[in-house]
Amino acid sequence: MNPLLAAASTALLHNALIVGAMLFALGLVGILTRRNLIVMFLCAELMLQGISVSLVAWSRHHGDFGGQVLVIFVLTVAACEAAVALVFVLQAFARTGRLDAAAWQGLREATLARTVDHALPASDASPPQWPRLSTAGVLPPGADHDSLEREHV
Amino acid sequence: MTPLPSLSPGMILAGAVTAAAASLWLLLPRGSENRIARRAGLVLGAAALAGFIVTGRRLGGLGEEAVFLVVSLVAVISGAATIVTRSPVYSAIWFALSLAGVAGVLLVLGAQFLGVATIVVYAGAILVMFLFVLMLAQPSGLAPYDRVSNEPLLSAVAGAVLLGLLSLSIGRLAADPTCCAAPARQPAAVTADAAATSDTLAVDQVARLGGELFGRHLLAVEVAGVLLLVALIGAIAVVARGEAALEDDRRLAAGGARR
Repeated sequence: MNPLLAAASTALLHNALIVGAMLFALGLVGILTRRNLIVMFLCAELMLQGISVSLVAWSRHHGDFGGQVLVIFVLTVAACEAAVALVFVLQAFARTGRLDAAAWQGLREATLARTVDHALPASDASPPQWPRLSTAGVLPPGADHDSLEREHV
Repeated sequence: MTPLPSLSPGMILAGAVTAAAASLWLLLPRGSENRIARRAGLVLGAAALAGFIVTGRRLGGLGEEAVFLVVSLVAVISGAATIVTRSPVYSAIWFALSLAGVAGVLLVLGAQFLGVATIVVYAGAILVMFLFVLMLAQPSGLAPYDRVSNEPLLSAVAGAVLLGLLSLSIGRLAADPTCCAAPARQPAAVTADAAATSDTLAVDQVARLGGELFGRHLLAVEVAGVLLLVALIGAIAVVARGEAALEDDRRLAAGGARR
């Protein structure tokens, strides 16, 4: 390999590793700080993405497929993890009615302090203006129209 | 070659990491929405990204560099938006955009199959599953636990310290010419142009990846298949047993109330 090409390859490796590190750090901050269980799982997936970028960068640098094969297995395990974890999240939601990680703080170590929510303003988000679509067809019988609409997402 | 000759790359990196921590701290949900803090967080985040761009290495061609810059900015900015957005649905949608950016980075790195698989498997299947669960479980409106975060300052500092240390070690790694030299090629591959383009950049790269996967890693593929089956059965078993356990809980609670 000529020196110019080697320098370009190292530069691409450096930049891609930095991008992978940034994605991993963002996922770490999210999983430490967010309280919604589903957002925490999204952050875990973000960390996996950072790792995938790093592995593929090394694969490109070394010119062999080991890193890419590993990323394929990362994808497989992520799919399994999402399926099993979402079942647990749904079960937790069925028990507590909340997607809140702090709803399970009864399981914490005895030495840790309790998470206390201080008073929050009722809601500071302005209601969004959804487009109104004209009615097409008929409503199914028994459908309670208002209960099917969400005001926020 | 930095625009400010008086600043060393290490100082730029330290500044960028500090700005990233402050920006995340300002942007993370903390009860009420403060517009000034939000704008300051956005400005600091842009400063942090600029610092990282300045300390990044110059790639070979201008086109490659521009494409890499755009897709990695999409990936990182949407990743940051994923963790600072209050609404979990918007969080998931930002994560989908981040996946698109990551797929672009993988394509720039020459991993064609993985770039497409990221879009199809992640954005197409896993993320849709997340959105289904969100729509099933999320109450209408922003829940209180979506509008607060656990220890935003400590988490932002922890993430920034990790990022700073990783960048430092990556920079030293890339500066050392002996650390990561490419291994010697197979003798058959060393022809006039095959020496320049390696195995992973060949035209039939996807076919070669498949050959590697089902050749050297065949056993691992089989194990991964069994893992998928076990996860499927496990998920169904948890649902089936969980409903029975839930019924037991309700019966116990009702019995306790009667007593």
